[in-house]
Amino acid sequence: MNLLDVKNLKTYFYSDAGVNKAVDDVSFSIPQGKTVCIVGESGSGKSITSLSIMGLIDAPGKIESGEIIFNGVDFLKLSEKEMRSVRGRDVSMIFQEPMTSLNPSYTVGYQIDEALRLHQKHLSKKERFEKVVESLDLVGIPDPREKYREFPFKLSGGQRQRVMIAIAMACEPKLLIADEPTTALDVTIQAQVLELMNKLQKEKGTSLLFITHDLGVVSKVADEVIVMYKGHIVEKASAKELFTDPRHPYTQALLHSIPTPGVTKRKAKLATVDDSVDYLSFPKEIR
Amino acid sequence: MSDIVFEIKDLKKHYEINMGLFTKPKIIKALDGVSFNVKKGEILSIVGESGCGKSTTAKIMLKIEEATEGNILFEGTDITTLAGDELKEYRKKVQIIFQDPYSSLNPRWKVGQIIGEPLKLNTDMSDKEIKERVLYLMEKVGMLPEWYERYPHQFSGGQRQRIGIARALALNPEVIVCDEPVSALDVSIQAQVLNLLLDLQEEFNLTYIFISHDLSVVEHISDRIVVMYFGEVVEYDDVDTIFEHPKHDYTKKLIDAIPVISY
Repeated sequence: MNLLDVKNLKTYFYSDAGVNKAVDDVSFSIPQGKTVCIVGESGSGKSITSLSIMGLIDAPGKIESGEIIFNGVDFLKLSEKEMRSVRGRDVSMIFQEPMTSLNPSYTVGYQIDEALRLHQKHLSKKERFEKVVESLDLVGIPDPREKYREFPFKLSGGQRQRVMIAIAMACEPKLLIADEPTTALDVTIQAQVLELMNKLQKEKGTSLLFITHDLGVVSKVADEVIVMYKGHIVEKASAKELFTDPRHPYTQALLHSIPTPGVTKRKAKLATVDDSVDYLSFPKEIR
Repeated sequence: MSDIVFEIKDLKKHYEINMGLFTKPKIIKALDGVSFNVKKGEILSIVGESGCGKSTTAKIMLKIEEATEGNILFEGTDITTLAGDELKEYRKKVQIIFQDPYSSLNPRWKVGQIIGEPLKLNTDMSDKEIKERVLYLMEKVGMLPEWYERYPHQFSGGQRQRIGIARALALNPEVIVCDEPVSALDVSIQAQVLNLLLDLQEEFNLTYIFISHDLSVVEHISDRIVVMYFGEVVEYDDVDTIFEHPKHDYTKKLIDAIPVISY
């Protein structure tokens, strides 16, 4: 059973210089309770794909055509008002920059509470407070009752990202989109955050769309992997298939460009993605 | 003795933070007794998390910051007391490549100017000689001569990092401090820049001090590694020993945390 089906999505950006086909005919599904990773380099269209799902594409960008079917409902047919009630409740998003995506002038608790105020109007103030404290506790913030009243500047990067996760998870969404959630964090903190997301997913049965350029992270979290290149999906496979038997030349180049302790010969030349090769000319590998 | 370029002895850097008029200032110990050596022609990596003091160490080595205590010997001379012409000479020999290729290049300057700037300031080369040298450097870092007249915004992150590398090479330095040179780049571009750094090291006999938090990259390029944690060196050894037999718990934790592709 798929929670989300993206079919033939095309998101284009218009400028005087012409049309930029940021996402060009992309189709994929996210099964219930699974983690799907989109990998690709800057400009491959991975972030635009996720923003399209969230309905956050603004002019000069436009969703040209396609379907985004979530639990039987096509997001592209919803009005902005209907979309607003979906965002934060059914689908949430975590952004890359924990330093800038929290509002510096509100307390941490207030910002988590916002989602509850908007989407769970039947809860009393006291119930909401307890829920916020519970969610801070869930993401592993120590002294959640005290931290409710802290402002973001007092928290470290890892803690801020935990708060972002708490905000995103506040209404227990069915789908969580994480756009490079650990890129700005130290490795040990990254490992903790990834573990936390895994744990939440298991407990709540949330489906996860995970966007990253770090293939090491992908191998830790993904069930299925989508490789994007210049707005297209060039390869789609289960994580195991992709890492053990990468078929598309672009995926192969990407995998070989990472130094892997114990595998790559020290100081040997790393393979690179060759700018002169048109990787789109190879057949797409969709498994 | 002669193969040691840098000798860093018990380096300390303390910052005082004023907590108010009547309270004693709080002291933050960014570096608390850091010692290590850098050998000629090696790649020595300094690893650790944000706030561990790796960049502070680099800044003191480059004389951007002053140490509170301790000495740094560069080829036998203590650089912590250098000033005037001697300092200028030292700075020619030790250059830096910055982390962020977007903010470390002046957006109003053309590529040729950016790379030629250190030559203009530090040598008496004529404009023509400078241009020749810049074109030579551009070729060395894999840039086309027609890009001489372009501005930084016309380049991708990887290309910009090449501009920064060419600028660092301009004065024929002996040592280059690379402060997270690839962490802002995509993996495929990262591989290109790492390949380039390794090529240049061989060709120009460079010594690199490589600062990074990415242990897979560090493992790939380093000869020796300094692991820092809260302003102190917790482990300092050659790369094989560190990765195969890490002694300190923090090093083990750091190595375990690398997301390695495994199936």
